[in-house]
Amino acid sequence: MTLDDQVRPMISADAGTPDPVVAVNSLTKRYGELAAVNDLNFSLHSGTVTGFLGPNGAGKTTTLRLLLGLAEPTAGQALVFGRRYRELDDPARRVGAVLESSDFHPGRSGRDHLRALALAAEIPTSRVEDVLALVEIEGVADRRVKTYSLGMRQRLGLAAALLGDPELLVLDEPANGLDPAGVHWLRRFLRGFAQQGRTVLVSSHMLAEAAQTVDQVVIIDRGRRVASGLLDELTERGKTLEDVFLGLTGGAS
Amino acid sequence: MRALLRAELLKQRSTRTGLGLFAAMLGLVLLAVLLHSFGLPAEDLGGTNLQLMVLGRGEFIGVLFAALLGAMSITAEIRHGTIRSTLLVTPRRGRIVAAKVSVSILIGTGFGLVAGAVATAAGAAALRARGIDVQLDRGDYVLLVVGSAAAAGLWAAIGMGVGALVRNQVPTLIGICAWLLFVEGLLAGDVAGGFGDVGRLLPGAAAAAISGQDPGTLLAPAVGLLLLASYAAVTALAGALATSRRDVG
Repeated sequence: MTLDDQVRPMISADAGTPDPVVAVNSLTKRYGELAAVNDLNFSLHSGTVTGFLGPNGAGKTTTLRLLLGLAEPTAGQALVFGRRYRELDDPARRVGAVLESSDFHPGRSGRDHLRALALAAEIPTSRVEDVLALVEIEGVADRRVKTYSLGMRQRLGLAAALLGDPELLVLDEPANGLDPAGVHWLRRFLRGFAQQGRTVLVSSHMLAEAAQTVDQVVIIDRGRRVASGLLDELTERGKTLEDVFLGLTGGAS
Repeated sequence: MRALLRAELLKQRSTRTGLGLFAAMLGLVLLAVLLHSFGLPAEDLGGTNLQLMVLGRGEFIGVLFAALLGAMSITAEIRHGTIRSTLLVTPRRGRIVAAKVSVSILIGTGFGLVAGAVATAAGAAALRARGIDVQLDRGDYVLLVVGSAAAAGLWAAIGMGVGALVRNQVPTLIGICAWLLFVEGLLAGDVAGGFGDVGRLLPGAAAAAISGQDPGTLLAPAVGLLLLASYAAVTALAGALATSRRDVG
């Protein structure tokens, strides 16, 4: 019996439970011969913080882009709230996402970046001030993004994701470039977010950090899921998440 | 759709790109018109066609900068990655393209209007300063200014469509410059010339026709307008289709 089989019921949708917030069903994305994502399955329920882990090139980012409608799957499907992302009526109010820490026009101020998104999503401009305060970058909001540190950009990206007060937050490597205080702040923020009954999916290859933040994990390697389950169960018997991860992804020496 | 238009307008206003393009356009318009007005032999400048060409530099340069602005409205988003947040908020991509085309046409028309008016005013003043009789009538002036605005508005839509198709910013901008500054001239003069007057059906020539230039060779302004509008519609539609179907990296 593999680890995966043991823990799968803890994370999959069981009959009788509400619809999963995220449902990835037989998801496959091929680029020519290469299957970046290969028959991937997992689902997430509300109120959880899930770490989406895997080595570089495992297919984490591709999976998130498929989930968010930026790319189309070759086969299978990725659903949020039971629908394809592109079919959500008001996506910004349901899903917030940060995919890259550098997705800003360098010559535009942080505040204008948020205002343009708020206008497009028909979110009141007053909300821009709220999220700027929430991520604590009001002081630099009128400066052009090119003057921001990486940590400020991470926070601005998070502010954009939070504009619509979403129920699901999808973050790709959010801790990259954050200083220890920033990482601590992010961890507390994500825990608080999930305690409100909302859902977080956060990809990472920083295992020590992930182990402190998430309550369950999906580990993928070469496009396939190699393990998933509650963090506590995966790391029982004195193993660290790193031990489990390296054992599963062939990184152990 | 109103919300998307306001968002696109804010994106245009909130960087210095538009202002920089506008300033460069104005400088080039003045440079081109004054060089021609003062540089060409006075006896040549007496003819209507050459006067139209000199005052029509506004249309030519306005079209170029409007096309660059339209292209950058999408290639800059792709280059800086903001296309991802844009599409997350508005996953129905056809609506994004429609909003970008509309705003490009609006600003491009403004570019063309200013370029046409400045070139016409500066050119006429310069010719008079040299004591050359300006042969143009009111209809010519109206065409030079309004035609320049219409041509630039439509070329901004073409630029946006090309940007959506090519996506990579530098090749897009170089391609637009190369087409308008060199390729079309070569095609019309040397290649298509061999097939009669096919050259006047090219999009740059149609734009010149709208502002009333070279009436013996080019299409009538109204026909040029229809033709250029068709080019704009086809290019924008192709850009919308490509944007809807392709993955965003």
